[in-house]
Amino acid sequence: MSSRAITSDSHSVTQDAPATPLDDMSSIVATYEQRIFRFHLISIRDRDVAQSLTQDTFVRAWSARHTFRGDCSISTWLMRIALNLIRDHTRTDRFRFWKRVSETAVDVSDISSHVPHRDSSLESRLIASEQMALVWESVAQLSERQRSVFLLRFLEELELSEIANITGLPISTVKTHLYRALATIRARHNATHKDPL
Amino acid sequence: MNIHLTHEQLCDLVLAESSLLLEGGLRNDLESTSDVVQAHLRACPVCSAELRSLRDSLSNFRDASVSFARQEFAHSYARRSSSIAPPHSYLSQPLYWAAAAVVFVAALFPLSMHRHLPVAPVTTTIASGTSQITESDEALLADIDQKVSADVPSPMEPLADPTAGTTTITSTSDQRTN
Repeated sequence: MSSRAITSDSHSVTQDAPATPLDDMSSIVATYEQRIFRFHLISIRDRDVAQSLTQDTFVRAWSARHTFRGDCSISTWLMRIALNLIRDHTRTDRFRFWKRVSETAVDVSDISSHVPHRDSSLESRLIASEQMALVWESVAQLSERQRSVFLLRFLEELELSEIANITGLPISTVKTHLYRALATIRARHNATHKDPL
Repeated sequence: MNIHLTHEQLCDLVLAESSLLLEGGLRNDLESTSDVVQAHLRACPVCSAELRSLRDSLSNFRDASVSFARQEFAHSYARRSSSIAPPHSYLSQPLYWAAAAVVFVAALFPLSMHRHLPVAPVTTTIASGTSQITESDEALLADIDQKVSADVPSPMEPLADPTAGTTTITSTSDQRTN
């Protein structure tokens, strides 16, 4: 059993085990932290929890860095850890409770101000905000698996093979989850556009 | 035109939006059906409008999420930095050092006041209290010595005879009987 000590400087590790690409954790954190945080934030929709899970992701990656075999990219490996943490977190009763009462929860109004306005007209801005809100609310209705796959594809813009690698699902199953997620969005989209009539 | 694109065809078009995402089976599906689908999209305003709307919705969702997450990340990073230590740039500012000096002096002030308090009265009080305690202890010890050194302990001393005055009377009455 090799023992390595993490120090204040993550570069400083004892030299009694083979080097892994994850030994330089500070540069890995600098490279991927924002992306991992974004995935946590949009998945969990809570600022504090997203921050905590982001830290947990890198702590777990550091602890398990010797299991990284290099058969996937570091990004994919980190995303897999992040996805497992989200899954563990959302399955607890504590999450369901805090989701209702948390002051740091992200609301659609928080994010609607970030919709890009490519057109300066008021009407186009309203339409864009409405479209974003529609997808935001639809994503909340998806099952845990569909939401994860949807966000990996349409938020992180990952390839289907990468999503399959992260989730451990066949590509055909990934596509099925995406079809269903998009069906939910389309159904809500159609309902919204039929209501005014 | 009554027949529209199926849900899967529409989804494949959405998924294939980015050329980076074309791969494997999806690429083959699209290549085989692309001509038919593209021809339909050109001819059917309903399908083309729905595809455009779906693309825009997903694009707006992604752009807003990325922008929001970037802002939140910057806020959380700033909070973490400020909660751990002041930024290095602050260390070079005179105002920072002046505030630190004021805090240092304020912390030292109660300590200096404590050192200047008169000590003598307290010592006298303590000394007198100590002598009183010593005297009472000595009195107790002397009392104990006296009790221990006695020949017969006081609890075992014979009690005074309460019938000492009536003995003669009884003997007199006996004599009369006889």
